[in-house]
Amino acid sequence: MSELKCVVVTPEQTELDVTVQSVTLPMFDGEMGILKGHSPLVGRLGYGVLRIQANGGPSQYFIEGGFVQVAADVVSVLTDRLIPMSEVTQESANSALKAALEMPTDQPDVALAREKAIHRARAMIRVVSP
Amino acid sequence: MANIRELDKRRKSVRNIRKITRTMELIATARFKKAMDRAAAANDYTERITAIVRDLASAGLEVSHPLLAERPSVRSATVLMLTSNRGLCGGYNGSVIRSALGRRKELKELSGDFNFEISGKRGISAMKFRDVKIDETYTHFEDQPAFEEVAKIADRLMDDFISGRLDRLDVAYTKFISSSKQEAVVETLLPFSQPEVETDAATGDGGSTSRQNYEFLPSAASILEEVVPASFRVKLFKCFLDAAVSEQIARMVAMKSATENAGEIIKQLSMTFNRARQAKITGEIMEIIGGVEALEK
Repeated sequence: MSELKCVVVTPEQTELDVTVQSVTLPMFDGEMGILKGHSPLVGRLGYGVLRIQANGGPSQYFIEGGFVQVAADVVSVLTDRLIPMSEVTQESANSALKAALEMPTDQPDVALAREKAIHRARAMIRVVSP
Repeated sequence: MANIRELDKRRKSVRNIRKITRTMELIATARFKKAMDRAAAANDYTERITAIVRDLASAGLEVSHPLLAERPSVRSATVLMLTSNRGLCGGYNGSVIRSALGRRKELKELSGDFNFEISGKRGISAMKFRDVKIDETYTHFEDQPAFEEVAKIADRLMDDFISGRLDRLDVAYTKFISSSKQEAVVETLLPFSQPEVETDAATGDGGSTSRQNYEFLPSAASILEEVVPASFRVKLFKCFLDAAVSEQIARMVAMKSATENAGEIIKQLSMTFNRARQAKITGEIMEIIGGVEALEK
C-alpha cells in the first residue's frame, strides 16, 4: 500500500507536498488525526495547529481555516494561509489580538473582518500558550 | 553642414531609446516568468476546490447558496476594471477600457445604480480624462497581486451582494489564454456561476474514479456554505493573476517591436547621415579643385 501523503495548498501556491506517517488537523470543532487508510472525508477546518509526523521528524504549522479532503491516502488541505509554528510567538499573537481589538466597531463592513481577526488572534494565543 | 550634426544627434537619441526599450523588454520577460509561475502555482488550489465541489455535487447535494442566486431585476451593478499601473504595454489597457465601457453602457440602461471600480493608474487616468464617475480605485496591485488584498475586495463585494446592495458584478480584465493569446473580456462574477458542477455531470457519467462515499464534517451543506465564497475569492484572484501575466506579455511584445523599430530608424538615419557626409566631402573636393584651377590661370 502506498504511503500517506499530505498536500497543503494556499490560493497563492502549493506550500507542502510530503509523505507523512500521520497528520493532525485542526477541525472546526477540535482536532482530528489521520492515518494511512482513512476513509474518504471532506471537512471544514478552523484556526489552529496542523501537526505533521513525517519520516524526517514532526513539524507544526498554524493554519487559518479552509477545508480538508482525504481520499486515496492523500490529505489535501486547502487553507488561506500557512505559517510555520516557529514564527508564531506569544508577542506576535498578543499584538495581533491587540490590533484586532483596535479595529473600528462602528462600520458594518469592518465588523466582520474584525471578528475574524479576533478569532484568528485568539486561536494563535491558544496554540502558543503552554 | 548643420544637417549632418543634427542627423548624428538624432541617431544617438534613437540609440538611447533603443537601449531603454530593450531593457524594458528584458525586465518584462523576467517579470512575466515570475507572474506565470505564480499563476501556475495558484492553479493547484483552484483544481482542488473544484474537486471538492464536484464531490459535493456527486454526493447528491443540491448546490444552492445566496451567491449563486440569480436576481430577477438588476437594481445595482458594479463593474470592476483591471488595468495596469504603468503604460508602455501596447493595446493592453486600451482594449480593457473599451470592453469595460461597452459593458458599462449596457448596464447603465439595465440598472438604476451603477458603480465603477478601477484597479490600476492607467484606467483611472483614462476614466478621469473621459469624465466618467469612479466609485473606487485601487493602485496597489502590481505584477504580483497578493491573495490577501484580493480577498478583502472579494469579501466586501460578497457582503454587498448577499445583503442585496449589489445585484450584479462584472469584471473587465485581460484573460490569459496562452502565452501568444490574451483577450480583453468582461465576465459576470456575481451571481456566481459554477460551471464545474455541469462538467462534473458529464464526466460523472463516464464512471469517474473519484466517486467515493465521502464523510462530510460537519455536513455537506455547511461545507458548501464555505466552499462557494472560497471559490469566488479564488476566481477573483485568478482574474488579477491573469491580468498581471497578460500585462507583462503585452509589455514584452510592445517593447520588442519598439526595439525593432528603433533599429530600423537607426539604419535609415545612418544611411542619410553617410550620404550627407559623402556629399559634403565631395563638395569640399570640388571647392579645392576649383580653387587650384583658379590659381593656375
